[in-house]
Amino acid sequence: MNKELEHKFVTQLEENQNIVHKICRLYTNDADSHNDLFQEVTIQLWKAYPKFRGDSKFSTWMYRVALNTAITLYRKSKRRVQTQDFEGVSFKIKAEEYDDTIEQQLKLMYDAVKDLNDIDKALVFLYLEDKNYREISETLGITEVNARVKMNRIKEKLRKILNP
Amino acid sequence: MDVLDTLKKDWQKQEDTLPKLTYKEIYSMLLKKSSSIVKWIFIISIAELLLWIFISFLVPDSSKEFNEQMGLKNVFWAITILNYAVFAVFMYLFYKNYKNISVTSNVKELMKNILKTRKTVRWFVYYNIAGTALTLLGANLYFYFNQDKLQRLLADAHYGYNNISPEQATTVFFTAQLIVGVVFIGLLMLFYYLIYGLLLKRLKRNYRELKKIEV
Repeated sequence: MNKELEHKFVTQLEENQNIVHKICRLYTNDADSHNDLFQEVTIQLWKAYPKFRGDSKFSTWMYRVALNTAITLYRKSKRRVQTQDFEGVSFKIKAEEYDDTIEQQLKLMYDAVKDLNDIDKALVFLYLEDKNYREISETLGITEVNARVKMNRIKEKLRKILNP
Repeated sequence: MDVLDTLKKDWQKQEDTLPKLTYKEIYSMLLKKSSSIVKWIFIISIAELLLWIFISFLVPDSSKEFNEQMGLKNVFWAITILNYAVFAVFMYLFYKNYKNISVTSNVKELMKNILKTRKTVRWFVYYNIAGTALTLLGANLYFYFNQDKLQRLLADAHYGYNNISPEQATTVFFTAQLIVGVVFIGLLMLFYYLIYGLLLKRLKRNYRELKKIEV
């Protein structure tokens, strides 16, 4: 029974591991911390797994546990106060649409996102992951209206960084 | 186009650059130990609860005997009973709050529950510090107003005050009580402030940020 559960869990996590890696990338600043955080998320997911009923999607459930771990539970050295550098961003822009200004702007934006506080970062992360405001507000525990207002403020902030 | 939409498009292209862990690597992580803040809070809180229970057993017999001879036996007996009752209530509250911490609640709920758990322990520590200070103060006031009895007792070779005059003995006695009391309480507060401050700094900051969104 336990072996079966372990197998099911590891398979599901293996399939969805990108979600956790993206969170690690946002919230840590080097490979070691990245792995540490991934490890802690895995443990927390596994501990909570017996209570996972399957009435929501595994990935949806994962977002919540992984973000909770990154923002609240995870505790490591001061290293993790800063964030991983998005060096070599942007990711894979195709040659034909390659544009120096876009590249520059993306770099600036990633830097700005990196500098946000833990909560705002979570908000932006869920937005970038294409979550709607209902999901964002449910994950963070704030109202939908407040999530929208805050997101608009962050957008405004980013816009100012791009066009000072 | 919306600035963030440009970013969103790019964000979703990063999949290829992410690390890929194998089934085996993930599996081996299940066997590792967690180092989460909740675990630390639990350990420290239990240690604090035990420390206070331990301290209450630590009062030396000579001091108990002394208090008995000063006629405070019943008062101290009542204080001890009250103490254990309060300890039990705090233990229950702590356990209840701890049980409420769930990694699957939303971010705000989780933070709130962790802070609540800590708050219970914090009140427990306040209760003990205040209780200690008040008992010490009360007892010393009583001693002060019953100096005849005190001097007679201190003259007893048993307490080591018999080489000095009764007036000096009283002065030394009260000064010693004061110094020990202040140092003890001061150390406890410092120790507590350090642990509590370091452990929860980030959590409190994040919780504040989250609350700020709500206004």
